[in-house]
Amino acid sequence: MILGRVTQNALVRTLTASTGRLQGELVRAQAVVSSQKRIQTASDDPIGTALVNALRGESSRLQAVLENVGFGQAVLGTQDGALAEAGLILTRAREIAQQFSNDTVGIEARQAAAEEVAELERAMILLANTSISGRHVFGGLATGAAPFTAFDDPGFDPATAYTGPADPFTVLSAPGQEFRLTTPGDQIFTPALEALDDLRQTLAAGDSPDGTITALVAAGDRIAEERASVGGRWNRLNARDAEIRDGLVSVQTRRGSVEDADLARAISELTQIQYALQVTLTAGRALLGASVLDFLGP
Amino acid sequence: MAIFPPLTIAREALLAHQRSLQVTGHNIANVDTPGYSRQRAVLRAVPPAGSDIGSGVRMVGLDRIVDRFIEQRRLGSASDFGAAATTRDLLARLEGYFPVNEGGVGTALQEFFAAANTLATNPESQAVRADLLAAGESLALQVRGAADAISTLQREVDQRLGQEVQDTNAVLQRIASLNREVVAANAAGASTSDLRDARQEALRELAGTIEINVVEQGDGSVSVFAGVGTALVLGTTPAVLAVRPDGALGLDGTPLSRVGLGGGTGSFIQLAGTLGGTLGALLTLRDQTLVDNGADLDLFATTLRDAVNAVQTDAAGRDLDGLVGAAFFGGTGAGDLTVALADARGIAAAQSANPGDNANALALVAIQHQALPALAGQTLEDYFGSFHASIGAQARSANDQAVIHHEVDALLEAQRDGVSGVSLEEEFTDLIRVQRAFQAAAQLISVANTMLDDLLGVVR
Repeated sequence: MILGRVTQNALVRTLTASTGRLQGELVRAQAVVSSQKRIQTASDDPIGTALVNALRGESSRLQAVLENVGFGQAVLGTQDGALAEAGLILTRAREIAQQFSNDTVGIEARQAAAEEVAELERAMILLANTSISGRHVFGGLATGAAPFTAFDDPGFDPATAYTGPADPFTVLSAPGQEFRLTTPGDQIFTPALEALDDLRQTLAAGDSPDGTITALVAAGDRIAEERASVGGRWNRLNARDAEIRDGLVSVQTRRGSVEDADLARAISELTQIQYALQVTLTAGRALLGASVLDFLGP
Repeated sequence: MAIFPPLTIAREALLAHQRSLQVTGHNIANVDTPGYSRQRAVLRAVPPAGSDIGSGVRMVGLDRIVDRFIEQRRLGSASDFGAAATTRDLLARLEGYFPVNEGGVGTALQEFFAAANTLATNPESQAVRADLLAAGESLALQVRGAADAISTLQREVDQRLGQEVQDTNAVLQRIASLNREVVAANAAGASTSDLRDARQEALRELAGTIEINVVEQGDGSVSVFAGVGTALVLGTTPAVLAVRPDGALGLDGTPLSRVGLGGGTGSFIQLAGTLGGTLGALLTLRDQTLVDNGADLDLFATTLRDAVNAVQTDAAGRDLDGLVGAAFFGGTGAGDLTVALADARGIAAAQSANPGDNANALALVAIQHQALPALAGQTLEDYFGSFHASIGAQARSANDQAVIHHEVDALLEAQRDGVSGVSLEEEFTDLIRVQRAFQAAAQLISVANTMLDDLLGVVR
């Protein structure tokens, strides 16, 4: 700015404008230091604001998926425990079938063994009706009535014992990506219940259960197959859990780099502005204090 | 011819320097008067009368030191700054309604979809359903709050227009009155400097409100026209601006004001074109900026409503009672967005008779990732993020404009001050100079008096 004449008023105006601007900057710098946020309002950085919104959304979505994964791990863990027990039951049933297939075993002994198989059948149904927080892990995670009718219900038929949902239950393990948590219980347990029921009835009739072994083996294979599937899915969720946690850290780091203040820089800026304000006021006092009046005699 | 010329010369000199002193005193007295232009006494040597020696000095006039071009540019600058400062202040208020860090529509939207996701993992839970309903109500409340903020700001701008028009009329009357005084002073041969300064200040005040063109007439009065060519002051006659509450409907559904020239007969001519200044900025904000922002928020609200309702009322969807769901959100836009569903059991999370089915809840969650045609292929979250950033960009741009125009205005003010401002250093120096000249003239009288005494002594 090149000016010919500089009046006292011009000096005052310049000083007022400079101190006003610096005081404004001081307030802003102080707000940044105290909040440790670089972006106070959208106008501070409109693009940064959009980015912060997007990253906050991403963080929220990842958090939701992480909850799904945690829930899925709990469900699959419960299923795994139940399937392990179911496998043991079928192993015991197979042992009984082999033991009582021998022609030397009498009818009474076979009828007594039928009682044990009935207990195994009851236990298998209890496992098929396993629940977590009241939700049946082999019944589409539905609440309410158990998906399999009880062994002691009149007219119990293993082929029609399952009354739960026909569809699997899925959750989101990533945006737009559904992840299956359950398999309808009839696809897992009905062969086992049929094989156990066949064994029980054969033994109760005093017949050799030799013919039931194949079905028991097949049912055991089905249980083992489902357990392997559950384990595989649990592993995938476990890996997904780690990915999401890494993703959350990454998103939070990116968000921090956009919206958080560099504290050392912010404090340095605050100090610089304070210094500039002091210098401006000192210079102003010196400039405004000098007057021709000081040199005029009385 | 004077009996003793030196006495006459001394007397005229005393009078001239006395008046110069008066001018300097006037300058010093007005050092802080806004708009005051320093004045200078114009002294001229009196030509010889009947001899070849001049007859002394006489003050023949008063100069008002101004640069007309700077004054004219200051009027334009006042309009630009008035418009920019008004826009900055109001947009800063608007962006205040959309917090960056936490809270607001963006956070409520994320919480709504997080609640939908929880429903998808636990579709039968009444508590989870109630939580989704509450999240929907919170989202609707935030959207309504944002819409209400825009609408309230628009109404406030409209009311401010009325106040600005009232203030402008007072300034127009003042200019017309000063015109009358300038013309009268001109006719009487009196100085018009102070009247012109006062009028220039009034013109600058007017220019801050509305962009003006000023034409000086031969009699010293000025005619003032709005940027669109409408006469605001013709000589001693001011126009009367008026507002009529019968314009287009505002965002709150009641009519906005029209600004125009009102006549005593009740006639009304609406001002057309870009007005500039505070009035122009208020009209632009009221009729364009806030309307556009309101429309963007409406689009967000109606798209959210339609997307959620489409899933909720899908023919395949089933609520806890096995029925097809009713609309989740109600309302016609952002201003009246509400949760229409009264009972959380009515949320259609399933797509079968099995209440544990979460297929429809998953479809609800999926909305947050969908590129929606109504939003030109953006997701709800992206659209709101862009909307939020756009408000920030508007506020930032307005602030930048205000800073630039303030700098220009300050520069012109400094330039004006360099030409017309009173410098106390100059005035005090002048004071000494005039004092010395006055003393010298007094000394001349003293010498002439001694000479006369000597002469009379010879006669005696």
